[in-house]
Amino acid sequence: MFDLLPHLLNGLVLGLLLALIALGFMLIIGLMEQINLAHGSLFALGAYFALMLTGPKPPLPPDAAAFWLQIPLGWRYALALVIAPCLAGIVGIAVEVCMRRTYGKDPLYGLLLTFGVALVLEELIRLTWGTRDHVLPVPSGMSGAFIFQDLIWSTYRFYAAGMAAIVIGLVWLLIEKTPYGAMIKAGAHDSEMVRALGVNLSKLRLGVFVLGTMLAAFAGIIVAPIWGIRPHMGVDAVVPAFLIIVLGGVGSFWGAVIASLLVGLAVGVSGAYASEWSLLSMYLLLVAIVSFRARGLFGKKSMLEV
Amino acid sequence: MTGTASDARLITPTMLGAWLVLATVPLWISTIGLYPYIGVEILIWSIYALAFNLLLGTSGLPSFGHGAFFGIGAYAFGLTQFNVAANLWVALAGAMLAGALAGLLVGLFIAHRRGIYFALLTIAFGQIFWTISVKWHSVTGGEDGLLNIVRLPVNLGIASFDITDNERLYYFVLAAFAVVVVLMWRLVNSPYGRILSAIRQSEVRTAHLGYNVWAYKLSAIVISAAFSGLAGGLFAMAQRSAFPDVMNLAQSGLVVMMTLVGGGLVSFWGPVIGVIVFLIARDVIGAMTTGWMLYFGTMFVLLVLFRPEGIAGGFKLLVERWKARGTAPEALSSEPRSG
Repeated sequence: MFDLLPHLLNGLVLGLLLALIALGFMLIIGLMEQINLAHGSLFALGAYFALMLTGPKPPLPPDAAAFWLQIPLGWRYALALVIAPCLAGIVGIAVEVCMRRTYGKDPLYGLLLTFGVALVLEELIRLTWGTRDHVLPVPSGMSGAFIFQDLIWSTYRFYAAGMAAIVIGLVWLLIEKTPYGAMIKAGAHDSEMVRALGVNLSKLRLGVFVLGTMLAAFAGIIVAPIWGIRPHMGVDAVVPAFLIIVLGGVGSFWGAVIASLLVGLAVGVSGAYASEWSLLSMYLLLVAIVSFRARGLFGKKSMLEV
Repeated sequence: MTGTASDARLITPTMLGAWLVLATVPLWISTIGLYPYIGVEILIWSIYALAFNLLLGTSGLPSFGHGAFFGIGAYAFGLTQFNVAANLWVALAGAMLAGALAGLLVGLFIAHRRGIYFALLTIAFGQIFWTISVKWHSVTGGEDGLLNIVRLPVNLGIASFDITDNERLYYFVLAAFAVVVVLMWRLVNSPYGRILSAIRQSEVRTAHLGYNVWAYKLSAIVISAAFSGLAGGLFAMAQRSAFPDVMNLAQSGLVVMMTLVGGGLVSFWGPVIGVIVFLIARDVIGAMTTGWMLYFGTMFVLLVLFRPEGIAGGFKLLVERWKARGTAPEALSSEPRSG
């Protein structure tokens, strides 16, 4: 039994990271009823922007670049955590403006649109940064490993899981405890009534989409040191994200979080017995649960079921 | 075609014209700067896209994991050839059967779903099959793929033709394409196909008319998967190998893109047009720039935004405008969708 502990812990960490990845996707699907397949590309974009800011060659004029490189890595990393999601957010604005034309139509159009956007973004990433793998530098305090119970643990994983937990908490506070959250939820529930009450719905949607984009980019930065940075990383992120949403139920915040932890634990524990096949466990989990609970664990009826 | 009166003819003038043009392709394709193999690719992907469109265009079921059936057909073609009999017909039947069985398995889980949930579950199943194909080394060869698949001779009983040469292979695939076109055309225009169209427009109403919607959807998934498997088998033969790549999410998305770009939602021939445009664009733009997906992706985004009926839809619009000269032009509205 004790042998399983490291796998359980790894699974838990993975679950928190998956929850962080799925968070932005969940906001957009739950509150706007749009499936954002470009989520993965925006996730990748966040990681690449952070690489641009912390790596050895920032895209700045020579003087500014020299000045920037003088700043200690820790500060640059911290700034990248803020700036990179903002840059991705600008891309998000562009995507949302395109997406407006698909509101009110079959949600399939939004899905197809964002699939096209994902292809374009991935190709842009390839053209800009090349196809090879990159490593995101992290401050030395976070890298490295420590020994606990005769096992080696990577420090960064725990830092990443902690960050994920904090961001999940913040997003929950935003949705549940602020008037903005109330407006967002109301907008998803009955958009006409919200508009009649004088809320600018298109601004609200833009806001939600940009927030979702920024969360994707943030997740990209946090996860990048573990998964590595490569053009394909977007697909590796968007598939678990959508899977978690279906599993947890569309529109349920805690459903998504619990589903992430379940998936993380399933992958972690199955990794203990058959590491080759551990990825398969999440798909099987999905099929098993969704066969019995059509809307996932905590799903409510949504627009997407028409 | 969909939405208008059904066409009961077995062979239409459009079909004959298309076959005739396609039959002359090897004579002139090299002179316009393309290589002959692209013709084989176009025909195989056309079979695949036509099969796929039975779900998307006819039944309104968006499958984003269709690459799984294509890939399973490819592997089944190779495995039947190695383990059962090195006979073309047996291997192709194996590919179709494997596709159909996979379709049945997936269909049992998803046939009662529709819309986005259907799409999401097909992604999950696509990923399951893709993962298996990558990880099950002893059977599929893992990432390296299944190699040394041979182009088996076409044995017609009285005579046997060798199709290892690309040009001969082209004519064999063209024959297969012709058969699939006739079968699909008949299927779509049969009473069965009309019910699938009815399901696309409103599942609830079709159910209230007394049709067993679930069984119709399941059978459509199985048929579509079987023909996708056939296309996969032909592809494995053309490539002389089978790889997991064709099963991944991006490749499954490509067939959706091709079908929509061509106009599969409004026209029987839409998927074929889409495949031709896509593959030729890939070769022509790909020869000029490394980032061809950038241009094609942008084109696709614009298409979804402004002309979701695709090329065939745009063409129909032009024809209608031409016919309606003088009178006020009337815009062609996109097909009403379910719900």
